[in-house]
Amino acid sequence: MAESKKPPTNASCKTPVTGPKFKVAEPHNLSSRAKWLRDYYFQGNDREWNNQYMVFSTGASWGERIWNEGDFYIVPDTYAFIGENTKGLYNMSIELMAKNVKLPEGFWKLSLPERRSTFFEEVMLNYIPQEIISTNDLIAGGQFNTQLSKCLNEKEYVQFEKENLRNRHAAFKYHKNGFGNLGATGGHLIADYKIIIEKGFKFVFRKAKKTYESLTEKEKNGSKGKELRAMMISAEIPRNLAKKYAEECRRLIKESNSKQRQDELEQMAQNLEIVPWEPAQTFWQGMQSLWLTHMLIMAEESYPGPGTSFGRLDQYLGELFEKDVIKEKNIDRDFAKDIFSSFVFHCNTAYDAQIKIGMQGITSGFGQLMTLSGLGPNGEDVTNDLTYMILEVFDEWAPILEPKPNVRLHKNSPDKLYEVILDMITRSQGAPFILNFDERSMAGLVLEGIPEDEVWDYGCVGCLENTMCGNDRSGTVNCNPNLAKSIELVLWGGKNMPGFKRPTKANRKLGPNTGDPEKFENWEEFFAAWKKQIEFMIKYTVEDYNRTELTRAKYMPTPYLSILVDDCIEKGVDIRAGPPKYAFMTIEGVGFATTVDSLLAIKHYVFDKKEYSFKQIKEALENDFKGKKEYEILRAKLANKAPKYGNNDDEADTLAKEVMDIWAQETWKYKTPTDYQFRPGMLSWNYWAGNDAFYTIATPNGRYAGTFLSNAICPTSGADTKGPTAVANSVGIALGGKEDNGSYINVLPNGASHTITFNPNILRNKEHKEKFKAYIKAYVENGGTALQINIIDSEMLIDAQQHPENYGNLLVRVTGYNAYFTSIGKELQDEIIARKSHKM
Amino acid sequence: MNTLSTTSIDEKTSLKGLVLEIQKLSTEDGPGIRTSIFLKGCPLKCDWCHNPESIPTKQGIQWFEIKCIGCKTCVEICPDNALKFDDKGLQIDREKCSICGKCVEECPSTALQIFGLKWSVADLLHEVEKDRVYYEKSGGGVTVSGGEPTMQTDFVVEFLKQCKEKGLMTAFDTCGYTSLKNLKRILPFVDLFLYDLKEIDSAKHNVFTGVPNETILQNCIWLAQKLREDGKKLWIRTPIIPQYTATEENVRGIAKFIVNELKNKIERWDLLAFNNLATDKYQRMDIQWSLQDIPLLKKEDIESLYDVAIEEGAKNVQWSGLTQSESKDNQQ
Repeated sequence: MAESKKPPTNASCKTPVTGPKFKVAEPHNLSSRAKWLRDYYFQGNDREWNNQYMVFSTGASWGERIWNEGDFYIVPDTYAFIGENTKGLYNMSIELMAKNVKLPEGFWKLSLPERRSTFFEEVMLNYIPQEIISTNDLIAGGQFNTQLSKCLNEKEYVQFEKENLRNRHAAFKYHKNGFGNLGATGGHLIADYKIIIEKGFKFVFRKAKKTYESLTEKEKNGSKGKELRAMMISAEIPRNLAKKYAEECRRLIKESNSKQRQDELEQMAQNLEIVPWEPAQTFWQGMQSLWLTHMLIMAEESYPGPGTSFGRLDQYLGELFEKDVIKEKNIDRDFAKDIFSSFVFHCNTAYDAQIKIGMQGITSGFGQLMTLSGLGPNGEDVTNDLTYMILEVFDEWAPILEPKPNVRLHKNSPDKLYEVILDMITRSQGAPFILNFDERSMAGLVLEGIPEDEVWDYGCVGCLENTMCGNDRSGTVNCNPNLAKSIELVLWGGKNMPGFKRPTKANRKLGPNTGDPEKFENWEEFFAAWKKQIEFMIKYTVEDYNRTELTRAKYMPTPYLSILVDDCIEKGVDIRAGPPKYAFMTIEGVGFATTVDSLLAIKHYVFDKKEYSFKQIKEALENDFKGKKEYEILRAKLANKAPKYGNNDDEADTLAKEVMDIWAQETWKYKTPTDYQFRPGMLSWNYWAGNDAFYTIATPNGRYAGTFLSNAICPTSGADTKGPTAVANSVGIALGGKEDNGSYINVLPNGASHTITFNPNILRNKEHKEKFKAYIKAYVENGGTALQINIIDSEMLIDAQQHPENYGNLLVRVTGYNAYFTSIGKELQDEIIARKSHKM
Repeated sequence: MNTLSTTSIDEKTSLKGLVLEIQKLSTEDGPGIRTSIFLKGCPLKCDWCHNPESIPTKQGIQWFEIKCIGCKTCVEICPDNALKFDDKGLQIDREKCSICGKCVEECPSTALQIFGLKWSVADLLHEVEKDRVYYEKSGGGVTVSGGEPTMQTDFVVEFLKQCKEKGLMTAFDTCGYTSLKNLKRILPFVDLFLYDLKEIDSAKHNVFTGVPNETILQNCIWLAQKLREDGKKLWIRTPIIPQYTATEENVRGIAKFIVNELKNKIERWDLLAFNNLATDKYQRMDIQWSLQDIPLLKKEDIESLYDVAIEEGAKNVQWSGLTQSESKDNQQ
C-alpha cells in the first residue's frame, strides 16, 4: 500500500445547527502530524485503510473452530449472536469471511502449540500485508485484528465442540438465573515488555532454547517439549515480521519525493532491523519494539484491545527518553511526541475490528492501559520527564479512547504532578486518566502474597485492575458474580423468587435451603443464612468458571504470549495451561452497595424497628413494589429511611466492611485446575448497568426489578447524600481501613472501581483548585484503590441527550473506562445523569 | 448518632445544640476543606437571608414536593390536624402545628423534614473528626456558623473547646450582634473569626436586618484587637445585595472602618455577591421572599465596588458569588 497523503475530511463531525450550550473538551496544540493521525482515525469507516478483522482458516475437512466464543461469555449482550445449540450467527459469519492458509508440510503432525505458532507465523508474515499507514506515521505495525483458526485436529475439534457447548449452556444458565456472568477471556495482563526493550526477543528465544535443550528426551516428547518448541517458533516471529516491515520502509523511500520523509523511513527501516530482536538503543526503537510486541499479543489471541496493557511505560522507556531527548538531544521533544502520537494512533485502531459492520468501539471498553508515575523500590517517587511528556500528549489528544493512562499517586507524589493532572481534569469532562492509589493498592497485593520488595512495581490492566508487570496473569473480569443475587436466595431459602419474568424457572432450587426467613429470631440468624448463600454463590462461580478455564487450557494455547510472562519458559508451560510466576483468578463482585443497602434495610425495618415482617417485604418484592399503596410506601421507606452505605455512617460502614470481608474471604478458598489462585476484586465493568441488572429482582434497598445495580464499590446512585469526603471514607473503610499503626488494609487485591462526579464549579479558581488537590491527597489516605473523576454539570448531559450532534466529543467516565456520551445507551446516559454531582 | 426526630430528644441531657445542618467538604467558610456546622437561631432578620430556616430558634417543618409520593400518611397521623393536601400540595397550618415530629417520623420518602436536630457535643465531635485528614491536607478544619452561633453559646463553647483539645483548627462565623461576654467566652477556642459587616449606616442596618449596627461595630473593634494580640485571624465578610448593601457609600464606609478602626489588620475581606438560590427555601416555609425576583449583580458592578474598597486602602479584598453573566437564568 502507498502511504496516504490525502488530507482527512472530518466526516464524522456534522455541522451543528446551533452550537453546544456547554463547552466540551477538544484536542489542542497538536502538531500537524499528530492532528493528521487523530483526524484520520476519526474518519472511521471512510478511511482507505483500516484494521478490520481478518479471518484465517486451516481449511480442515472435519470442521473449523475460529472464533473463541468463550472470550465473550463475560459480555452477555453478545449471547444472542453466540447461539443456543449451533455455532451461532456470529461464529458462522466469521467462518464465511475466512481465507484458507496454505499449511506447511507435516502441519497436522505437529503438536497443538506448534501448530498454533506455525499458523500464526504464516499468517503474520505471508497473509497480512505489512503496511506503513501514512507519511505521518513513525511506528511500523498496521493490521493486527485477526481471527485465527485454533488449528484443532479432528479429535481435538470434536472434543472441543462438545465441551464448548456444555460450557456455553453452563454460562448461560448462570447468567439467566441472575448470578452474573463468567468466562475465560483474553487479554488482561501486562506482558514483559521491559525485557524485550532491554534485552530483545533474542534473549527470550535463547532462554527457551536453553530450557528445551536441558530437557530429557522424554520431556522433549512431552508437553514441555511441545510448548518450548512452539515458544521458540513464536520468539522469532517478531524478528521476521520486523524485517518485512523494514523492507516496506525501504520500498517507500523510493516512492517518496520528500527528503525528510526519506530520512524518516530510512531510520524506521534501521530501527526495524534492530528491534524487537535486539535491545532498543533509542527511544524511537523502544516505542517501535513495544508496539510490535504488543500488537502481536492481540493478533495471537485474536482479541484486540481488552486489557492487554503496557505497564509502567514511563519507567522502562524513561532512560532512553532521557538519553535521546534531554542529555544527547538526538531528537527534539516535539519529535518524541510525534513518535508517541503514532503509537497512540495504532492503539486506537484496535477498535476497527468490526468497523465495516458499523460496530466500531462497540463498548468503548477496550483497555490498553498505561501505568504512569508511582513509587520506586525505595519508597521514592519515580515521576520522570517521560511521564510529563506522555501526559501532555494525552491532554492534547483528548478526548481519545486508547491507550488509557492510570496515574499512580502516593503520599509523596510531587506537587508538579498534581498541578498537571488538575489542569487536565479542569479541561475535560471526564478526567483523561484514572488515579490509582499506591498505598491502598499495594496493601492488597501484599495480602495476596506479592513480596514487599516487588510490590512497588505493580501496574494496572483493563480498567484499573492491579497486577504485577511481566509475571502475572490475574484473570481480571473472568468471574463477575452479582452479589445481590444472595439477597434473593436468602429470602426464598435458596430458590429463585416466584413470579419474576426471567428466562429461567421461578422457584428453581439453586442455593442451599436456609429455610423460611420468617423463622429467624434475630438479625444474627438471618445474617448467618445470608452468609451461607454468598458462600454457595462463590463456590458455584468457581465450579462453573473452572470448566471454561480447563477447556481453554486444553485447546487454545498461546505460546507467543507465554514467552512474555515470567516463569512460563522455565516451566515449559503455556500461560493458559499453568501458572506463570504470579497467577490469580479474579472474582469481581458486582452490586456491592445494592447488597449492603438491602441487608441494612432488612436489619433496620425487620429486626431493629420491627416495623415490617419478611412476609410483607417479600410480597412487595414479588410485586416489584407496584399495584398497592402499601408497597409504594414500603419502597419509599426502604429507599429513603434505612441507613445507606456511602455516607460514612458508622452502622452502614460497619456492615459494608463485614459483607466485604465475608465474600472476599470466600474467594481465597479456591483454585483453578490450572493452578491459579482465586482472589477478590470489584471492577463490575458494565454489568451493574446491563443484562445482569435486568435479571435481578426488586431488592430490599427499594430498587425496582431490572433497574441498575450499584456500580463496583460506589454507593447506590443517589444514596450518598453526605458528599465526597463521606463517600471516600466509606470506600476506604469497606476495603479495610487502616491498622492502628496507620498501615493500610485492602481486602481487594485486584482493586475496586470508584467513580465520582463533581460539578465544574469545584475548579472555578485557584483557591478551589487547591482545595480539590487537598481532597485528592486526602483520598490517598482515606479512600480506595482507584478513582475516576467526572467533572460534569448534569444540565450539560441533558443538553447532550437532546442535541447529540453538538456533543460528539463529550467523553465521560462510565466506570473504569471512558466512553463517548452520545454513543452509549439511553439507560446508561440516564444513570450517569442521575449520579450525584458534588459541588464544593 | 444524630437524633432523627424531636420525639426522642431527651431534654434533660445537658448541652445539646440545635443543629440545622452539617456540611462536609465545605469550601466557602474559611480556609481549606472544612466541616461547617450551621446552628439554629439568629437575632437578625436580614431581608436577603439565604438560610431563612436558620432564623427561628425553635425547630421547623418543611415539605419537599419533589420527594413526596403523595401517600398522605402525614395527614392521617397528624395529632394537631395541621396538615391537609390540596391541589397545590401539602399545606402546613403553622399555627396549629406543634412540631411534634410525628409526620417527619412517618413520612416514608423524607419529603417532610424537621429543621434543627439536637446533637450532643460528643456526637458532633465524632462526626467532624471523620474528616480530619481532609482538614490536615488542606489547612482546613471546623467552622461553627448559623444562624448566629452565639445564640447557643454554652454549647458552642464546649464544642469548640473539645475541637481544640483534638487539635482541630476552628473558625467561628458570626454577625457580631451579641454580648461581649459571649465573645470573650468563645475567643479562647477559635483560630479564625469570620465576621459580617453588612451595612455601615446604622439606620439602614436596622431597616435591612432588624437591628442597628453599633454593637456589631464595637464588638468588631474589640475582637480585632484581641485577635491581633493572640496572633489569631479575622476575616470580614460583606454580603453585596442589590438594592440594599451594594452601594458605593456602604463599601466605602466599611473600607474606612476596616482601615481606620481595625487598622487594616485583617487577613481577608470578602465581598459576597448576592445569589437567588434560596428562593425555594422561602417557598417551602410559606414565606413570600421580597428578593425573589431581584436581578443579580452585573460583573462590572461588583468589580467597581471591589475597586472602591481598594481605593480606600483596604487590603486582601476578594469578591465571589453569582453575577449575571454566570447565571443561566439570566442568559435565557
